[in-house]
Parts: sequence; structure tokens; C-alpha cells
Amino acid sequence: MSGTKFVYVIFIRTTPEKLWDALTKPEFTRDCWCGCWQDSTWKPGASWKLMIPDGRVGDSGEIIEIDMPRRLVLKWRNEFMPELKAEGYTRCTYEIEPAGSAVKLTVTHEIDLPESKFIDSVSKGWPNILSSLKSLLETGQSIEETRRWPEGW
Amino acid sequence: MAEIEMTTESTVYVTYIRSTPQKVWAALTSSEFTTQFFFGHSVESDWKTGSPWLLRKPDGAVNVKGVIRESDPPRKLAISWNLVGPKELQDLPESIVTYELEMVGDDVVRLTMTEAHPTPIPANLLEGGRRGWPMILCGLKSLLETGKPLNIPKPQPPKEK
Repeated sequence: MSGTKFVYVIFIRTTPEKLWDALTKPEFTRDCWCGCWQDSTWKPGASWKLMIPDGRVGDSGEIIEIDMPRRLVLKWRNEFMPELKAEGYTRCTYEIEPAGSAVKLTVTHEIDLPESKFIDSVSKGWPNILSSLKSLLETGQSIEETRRWPEGW
Repeated sequence: MAEIEMTTESTVYVTYIRSTPQKVWAALTSSEFTTQFFFGHSVESDWKTGSPWLLRKPDGAVNVKGVIRESDPPRKLAISWNLVGPKELQDLPESIVTYELEMVGDDVVRLTMTEAHPTPIPANLLEGGRRGWPMILCGLKSLLETGKPLNIPKPQPPKEK
């Protein structure tokens, strides 16, 4: 296997339904995903876009699999950085399971390409975004750095 | 007997905590906190470079022992990690666990935990660590941000495949 894979597991004191909303609805993602929102009808085969606050398309792809509030698989390509876009489509899987009074979220982001720059890039972003999502769900306040798009990007 | 798969892969877990490096350091090094997020375990050490350290189970039995390799409060703590317990685990080479704490913005700490294996260990033991660390460090984040521990079931001890 010559692919590149990033796996991140996070436990959040919430319910699977609330976590699903926080991962997919603009009112949550704008607060913890650098001001971004996702444009999709969330149906199998539907298109999916991650929109940058200034109107650019950050990433795009489609819904491969959706089983609310348990599992979401996206086909995912970067659109705004030519070097990353050139790597083509990645696959991102969200898995949600109850764990005691918390919920376990596993995000797996992978590509069939060795030493992928895209995967290296998201492996720095996911811990920040998902830590902020956990703070938002548990305290009502996301992490400040993740509330707006970083300058110059 | 089947051959055991060995590995020198590291485990890295990064989390962002709304806190200060001093508070995260205190939480990692005082039993008052660790008993609330580290599966009920307590810690013992003066946390000075060269000193021994212990991790005790809730029943008081020593679970892990080691030496403080590097201590630079509240920025970096590197400790050697030797499992104590079943005889087959005692023969394992030591791991090195490093916590790095950095301020990000005004009120957030980026905590990076690295579990390194200079000498190969069985792959199932690596998997055990990969299951446990997110539970421990997510519990630490919840405790510091909300004042309440996270109630999640304990992982099962690693089994021979």
C-alpha cells in the first residue's frame, strides 16, 4: 500500500445528532472551521463544496456515503491551491459512535498517493478544527483562531 | 506460535486547549488532575530531569515507571515509559513519551503528545496506545475547559493476536 492516510480520534461530550449538525451546518462550521461553510444537499451522489468566507471554493467533491448520524464519506479535492489540487481526489470518512456519556468521532482522510502534500496539510488542520468543534459543543465557545479565515490564504 | 509483528512507528496526538501552559503542565503532573482524566491513575515524581516517575493504578499498583529525560516547565516534558505488570510486558523495551506545550493566540495551548519507540515493540501494543491517548487527552481538555471529567469507557488491555 503506497497511499497516505491521516486518522484523528476525538471524544466529545455531546450526542451523535448534535455532532452531526456541528459537522455539517454552516452556523457551526463558520465558528470552528475558519469561517467556512459547506454547500451540499447531503444526499448520496450529491456534489459537495467547502466554501471560503470570501466566496472562493476551497475544496469540492461529492457525497459517497451518508448515514446520519453515524457515517459520512466524501470524495474531496482541493481547489484553491494548485499544488494540492494536482494530487486529485482524496477520501474523507467521518465515523460517529456513542462512548459512555460522550461520542467518539473518527476522521480518516486518505489518498492513493505516497507522501501526499494534501494529507500533510490536512493533518495539521484537522486537530485544530476538531479541537475547536469539541470546545464549541462542550462550552458554547469555539477556539478563537478557528473563527475566521487566516489572512493571506 | 505465530510471529509477532514489530514496529518502531510513533504515535502523535495534537489537541488545542483553552487554558494556559502552566495549567496544562499542572494537569499532566499532579494526581489531583490525572485521577480525573488518566483512567483514575495517579502520578509520582518531582518532575526534575533525571528523577524517577511512576504511574499508579487506582488500586495503588505501579502501572508504568520511568525516568524524566527532559523537564522544561511549562514547555516540554520527556519521560521514559516502562510498563510494569504482566511478565511479558516487563521485557519490552522502553518507550519515550514527550509532551510539548505552546501558546497559540492569547488563550489557547497546543499540546503535542509523541509516543516514540526507539526499539521495536509489538504492533498490538502500539494500537493499544493509539486507542488510549485520544481518550486521555480529550478528557484532559474537557476537564480544563469545563471543570468536569469526560466519562468514557476504559479501553481493554492489549491482547496477544
